[in-house]
Amino acid sequence: MEIKAHMVSAGKAEGKAVVYNGPFAFLGDLSPVTGKICMPRHQLEGTSLANKVFVFTTGKGSSGCDFAAWATKKNGMAPAAIICMESEPVLSGAVIATKIPTVDRPEENVLELIKTGDRVKVDATAGIIELDFGR
Amino acid sequence: MLLTDEEKKMRDGGYGPGMRRSMDLLVKLGESFDAERLVPISYGHIGYDFCPEAFWDKMTEGVPQTPHRVTTHPSYSPEVWKAWGLPLADNWIDEHERKLKRFKELGWLRTETCAEYLLGIFPRKGDVVPMGGSCMQVANNSLFGAKVDRMGILVSLAAAVCGRTPLMGLLIPENRYANHLVELDDLDVSDWTMSEYHCLGYYIGDQVPGFKPVAVNGLPPNLPFDFARALVISMPTSGAVTLAHIVGTTPEAPTLEAAMGDKRPEQVIRVGKREMKETWERLNVWEDDTVEHVAFGCPHSTIDEIGRIAALLEGKKVMTTLLIGASTPVEALARRQGWADIIEKAGGLFLPACPSIANPFTRADIAGEKQAKSAATNSARSAHYIASVGGVKVFFGTEEECVNAAISGKWKGEMPKWK
Repeated sequence: MEIKAHMVSAGKAEGKAVVYNGPFAFLGDLSPVTGKICMPRHQLEGTSLANKVFVFTTGKGSSGCDFAAWATKKNGMAPAAIICMESEPVLSGAVIATKIPTVDRPEENVLELIKTGDRVKVDATAGIIELDFGR
Repeated sequence: MLLTDEEKKMRDGGYGPGMRRSMDLLVKLGESFDAERLVPISYGHIGYDFCPEAFWDKMTEGVPQTPHRVTTHPSYSPEVWKAWGLPLADNWIDEHERKLKRFKELGWLRTETCAEYLLGIFPRKGDVVPMGGSCMQVANNSLFGAKVDRMGILVSLAAAVCGRTPLMGLLIPENRYANHLVELDDLDVSDWTMSEYHCLGYYIGDQVPGFKPVAVNGLPPNLPFDFARALVISMPTSGAVTLAHIVGTTPEAPTLEAAMGDKRPEQVIRVGKREMKETWERLNVWEDDTVEHVAFGCPHSTIDEIGRIAALLEGKKVMTTLLIGASTPVEALARRQGWADIIEKAGGLFLPACPSIANPFTRADIAGEKQAKSAATNSARSAHYIASVGGVKVFFGTEEECVNAAISGKWKGEMPKWK
């Protein structure tokens, strides 16, 4: 199954999905050292996003999210790709500057369609999300 | 995106590789938000110590002195950290010095604060001031009526280098009307301190699902500056709000109608006693009552805040480390007033640093084994980042409760009596 989406940051990648029906901040929510959600009492506390396709609603938090994204990527702990419902300028700047393939505004509700653990391909440059491939 | 001939020259490397890369980032960001063009900036504001060095070097490579003013966010002070005996301070010195050298070559201004408006550097209504630092973005938008879109530290460097920013988001007048309306439900704010406003802002930021403007209705008119600031700066911590109109206080919101335009709110957020209580509880992440560090000045303290802290500390000694984040000029005024001496005699310390994400006492990669295991603060923003980035237990309370915790080393803060 292919879902059209809007390119935020070019590139393509695939990986296992982590789906979160809420907003995300690279700074504060995610440890750049372990690649795990580190915010106390967060629903995903302890979950690793490293090399995953992270699916969530939108960005939030401080303008430092972009340097946190950079550090996470440098440590090899960044998500392989990002799919969000609607990006916002801090998240977009972060993924463009750190070259994490990212799409937003998918034509289907990916928060329902994609389950945590599913394998997902993101071709951000072409604006395509691919699910259920190789079946 | 439409570019002028001058902007094309920047993009094509006519002014060196740093400006070419910076322009590339601005154009890509603008295009992802369908921006038609770039606009010139009134001034820029960056945070060099927060920029990864590889990024800083690339974006400033070959960049000449800029014709526009560029100022700075709180910086690191590794020499001071070292003097304070923090074991890993040495690790930070060389990179800081290299970046600072380049910063000076660019002719930029070492304001080193997240509250530049306290130094007399503030935008006029309508000025375009792209900047890093979500707390100053939301303050400049909301309290001064400047045009700042939400943006990150890395993008703000690109904007400062090029003197341009994409015409998008909050730079466009019709996007500045509120989409979300906050109504206070039977809340008496007459005895609120700054901390209660921090708590309210933190709740609102969490409730707004996106990054569109908010109008807060029902607060007393002409809210004091410290209170208005505490309210708006907490929103982009728990969320992404970058413009918050406070009806009766902020320049674009003399009335609710002026704040909303002819829009009907997409969402009405009602805040009552229960929401305030739950948020206050959420900001407190601690187990036993031992306090090892107290942080003030997130955002950087006003002279009034320092005066109040000095009055509470006069003749006392602190058991914890106590840090006040303040810009150098405001600290100088506090010194002239005699307040800095009172605070220092009690054992308090000043630094033009970020007391939240870059607090040397709560960061394991600066303080090493001297990292505080618990910290008290009167700022929701500090509480959020000390707990998450520092991984430290946090007490959130009023200014007075935090000073008392510093003196006794124990937390005796109480849930406010919401009425």
